[in-house]
Amino acid sequence: MTFLQPWMLVALPLVVLPLIIHLINQRRFQTVPWAAMQFLLAAKALSRGYSRLRHWLIMLLRMLAVAAVILAVGRPLSRGWLALAGGGRPDSAIVVIDRSPSMQARDSSAGDSKLDTARRQLAESLSTLRPGRCLVVTDAARGPEEVADPAMIVDLPLAGPAAASTDLPAVLHSAYEFIRENPAGTTELWICSDQRANDWRTEDGGWAGIRDAFAKLPQQVRFQLLSFPAPAAGNVAVRVTAARLETAGRDRRLVVTVAVSRQEDGPRLMLPLRFEIGGVTTAVEVELSGREAVLKQHSIPLEKAAGPSGWGRVSIPADANLADNEFFFVFDEPPPRRAIVVADDPAARRPLELVAGIPPGKDETAIVDVAAPGSLATAGWDEAAVLLWQSPLPEGRDRDIVQAHVDRGGQVVFFPPDVPTATAFAGVTWGGWTSHATAVVPESWRTDQDLLSNTLAGTALPLGELEIRRSCGIVGDALPLASLPGSAALFARPAGASGVTFCATTPAPRDSSLAAEGIVLYALVQRAIDRGLAVLGRARQLDAGPVAVELAAADEPWIRRAGPAATSSSEPGLQAGVFAAGERLFAVNRPAAEDASATVADDRIDGLFRGLGFSRITGRTGVGDSIVQEIWRAFLIAMLLAIIGEGLLSLPRRPQANAAPAGIRSVEAAA
Amino acid sequence: MFTDRQPRSFLDPQVLARLSAVPLVARRPMVGSVSGRHASPHRGSSVEFAEYRKYVPGDDLRRLDWRAFGRSDRHYVKEYEADTNLRLCLVLDTSGSMGFGSGEVTKIDYARRLCGPLGYLAAQQGDAVGVSCVAEGIVRSVPPRRSPAHLRLVFDVLEEARPAGPTRLPEVLHELAETIRQRAVVVIVSDLFCDPSALASALSHLRFRRHDVAVFHLLDPQEMAFQFQRPTRFLDMEGGGAIFADPIDIADRYHRAVQAYLDDLRRIVLESAVDYHRILTDEPAEQVLARFLVGRAAARGLR
Repeated sequence: MTFLQPWMLVALPLVVLPLIIHLINQRRFQTVPWAAMQFLLAAKALSRGYSRLRHWLIMLLRMLAVAAVILAVGRPLSRGWLALAGGGRPDSAIVVIDRSPSMQARDSSAGDSKLDTARRQLAESLSTLRPGRCLVVTDAARGPEEVADPAMIVDLPLAGPAAASTDLPAVLHSAYEFIRENPAGTTELWICSDQRANDWRTEDGGWAGIRDAFAKLPQQVRFQLLSFPAPAAGNVAVRVTAARLETAGRDRRLVVTVAVSRQEDGPRLMLPLRFEIGGVTTAVEVELSGREAVLKQHSIPLEKAAGPSGWGRVSIPADANLADNEFFFVFDEPPPRRAIVVADDPAARRPLELVAGIPPGKDETAIVDVAAPGSLATAGWDEAAVLLWQSPLPEGRDRDIVQAHVDRGGQVVFFPPDVPTATAFAGVTWGGWTSHATAVVPESWRTDQDLLSNTLAGTALPLGELEIRRSCGIVGDALPLASLPGSAALFARPAGASGVTFCATTPAPRDSSLAAEGIVLYALVQRAIDRGLAVLGRARQLDAGPVAVELAAADEPWIRRAGPAATSSSEPGLQAGVFAAGERLFAVNRPAAEDASATVADDRIDGLFRGLGFSRITGRTGVGDSIVQEIWRAFLIAMLLAIIGEGLLSLPRRPQANAAPAGIRSVEAAA
Repeated sequence: MFTDRQPRSFLDPQVLARLSAVPLVARRPMVGSVSGRHASPHRGSSVEFAEYRKYVPGDDLRRLDWRAFGRSDRHYVKEYEADTNLRLCLVLDTSGSMGFGSGEVTKIDYARRLCGPLGYLAAQQGDAVGVSCVAEGIVRSVPPRRSPAHLRLVFDVLEEARPAGPTRLPEVLHELAETIRQRAVVVIVSDLFCDPSALASALSHLRFRRHDVAVFHLLDPQEMAFQFQRPTRFLDMEGGGAIFADPIDIADRYHRAVQAYLDDLRRIVLESAVDYHRILTDEPAEQVLARFLVGRAAARGLR
């Protein structure tokens, strides 16, 4: 039981007051000379079971009445089974709100989304609890922000819907930092979430540190999870996976690939897709029979008068979650596919020039600049999408230039030099060369994503046909994309550097068959160029989140061109929409992981908070009752009932005082 | 004829004057020593014809009915009912329980107010009056006599009676039944706090001895109501132990016990044909006596 005034509970021993009064009364007896002793003896000899039971019931009801009064004055709170967590009014309450798109799902029978329900329940509950300070945190970068009145949480823009996922470990860490820097007494940390795996990131190594950090705090921190794990029934999400502008003479058309998905199997559905491009709306129907359907290479002709770049959106009819019913995309004429090749070994440089210089489409142009270490500054870095580097890892000024290229979003593929040096890049350096007596073949590689993923048709790249005769070790914290026998990495990506790839061999014929079996090398380089162009082009697709926020803050201010009407335009990078910054266009959408329905199991979450004061309550979408309610009225009613019951039990069973003499007289008269 | 000028607390002249209008009569024939106002089982010289009897030598010739001889040529003697006096035996319970009184009047005070006027009325009409104070045994006994001086003695005994000791009323009634030799009106004034079955036996004994038994059963209103607000230690007025009880708790069971006792008593008095009067001591004694006397007057004439 939780009380707003728990100090009143010190009066609880007063419940024995009726017992004490009873005992005192017993001692304050009167002595009466009495004649009719035979009746008294008979009365005492008669069965006393009911009388004794009634006596104890009366005593119990009196004690209950006193207890109810004391508890009512203590202002008890009803918090469901959260009451087991105990505690009184917290000194501060920090509310962590997961406002990711999945939290905007709503029950079919209710108009409020999970986020709305959570905000309202929290506002009511905290208004009842009245903590000393109330803070809201939704984004680790912004940290907790204080609100004057918990009721404001309902309309707080900071707690409004967003298109970005919530990095809960990071948010909790920011809450921890706040608590550590602002020591208070008891702190309640409320987490509102739908337990999506992409928000909780349970594999994040930071969880253990967060748990330990909170456990070591001197003040008490209680965690309360307000959870909405129920999936949105019948929800369908739409996403554009590719948008490409094609030009044939004077005709221009946009080729888009659209995926629609739902979280559970359902009946066959004809789903109308509505495209809006430059004010022109077109529609097409997609048949959804399983969990996912893809509209591939859908061609939409563009107006001739339209500019070279533009934006559009695709939407589906409203369903349980409005946040995933539309998707924004931007397009532009493809920029030249510029690559810079730096290679010491001519045998390696030639294949690299070839694979970078052959564009995948006939309308595209490919430019390959060959540069040498020390003269990188003269290369056309502004338009370079990829840097192919077969030389000792850059140092000094070269390193700065390459790092700037990576930071800008460019791609780098490092091939090992003849003589590796100890220089590192992105935490990774070259080991020693290993010559294989017989050529080895890659054992495994990532086919689901990244540079070596399967083709759009689902066919795997022929890495198994490669022959690696000599390989150089990749030393450092890197994620293997392809592995040789013995777990040595053939391709690897340094941790935290998404634009850098290390290849453990070179295309030189003495080292591998990368050049002879050129498909893998060509696909890898062209995909790297595509990724670089996606960042460097004037039209860029972005996932809402820290990267988009950083971009929005770094350059020219973003001006919103399109977006959901209900969202705030003051959070560029976190809200979906199309934004313009000078000549560049950005389409910001929810991350793909938001469309997945995987939730974290309860016991897994319990494990994350093991050793901390943690409790969970499962909310129901649309049911806005406060989690915490004052229930002193119930105790007053209980007290009244106890008093009434005590009164009823104390009433004499018959009006004996008058009945007996009347009976006597009537008998006498009859006699 | 009654010259007792000593004021008695239990005698009110005005009440006596009002009650004198109704005679005290026996419900059964009495065997008295002198002529009186009550029916006798024997033939006598009253004006009330009883029967004809054949003349036997030695009969008084003045009592021959010559008209009957003229009609039947046989000698008959004409007999008349005899009227005699009665012996009023007042049995006053002086056990400790008779000292209880929730109001101004204790039960023994009330008993005096019943016995005194009855004795006076009996003496007024020439009947013999005696009194027995009983408790664990016969505490004091004055045999019935007719003289006015004897009535003073009876009043003295009544006045001096003090409630004390336990009750053994059934045993004492058995003893009195054997002690009172001739038929008498036995008036028992008691709270009857004894075993009803034993009392039934004693009353039957008195009836067997052809006594006219009347019982005044005295009960205090508080003994019926049993109204106490606090836990109470009840001290036995007849010398027994004390009982501690919360009256609120046991009131209902107490009333059940009282009701069962009264039901038993009612059955007993009906079976033994006792003139039974259950009285609460808050009722005026004059009213009780008037009802008693009037009820008896209606039964006069039975022989």
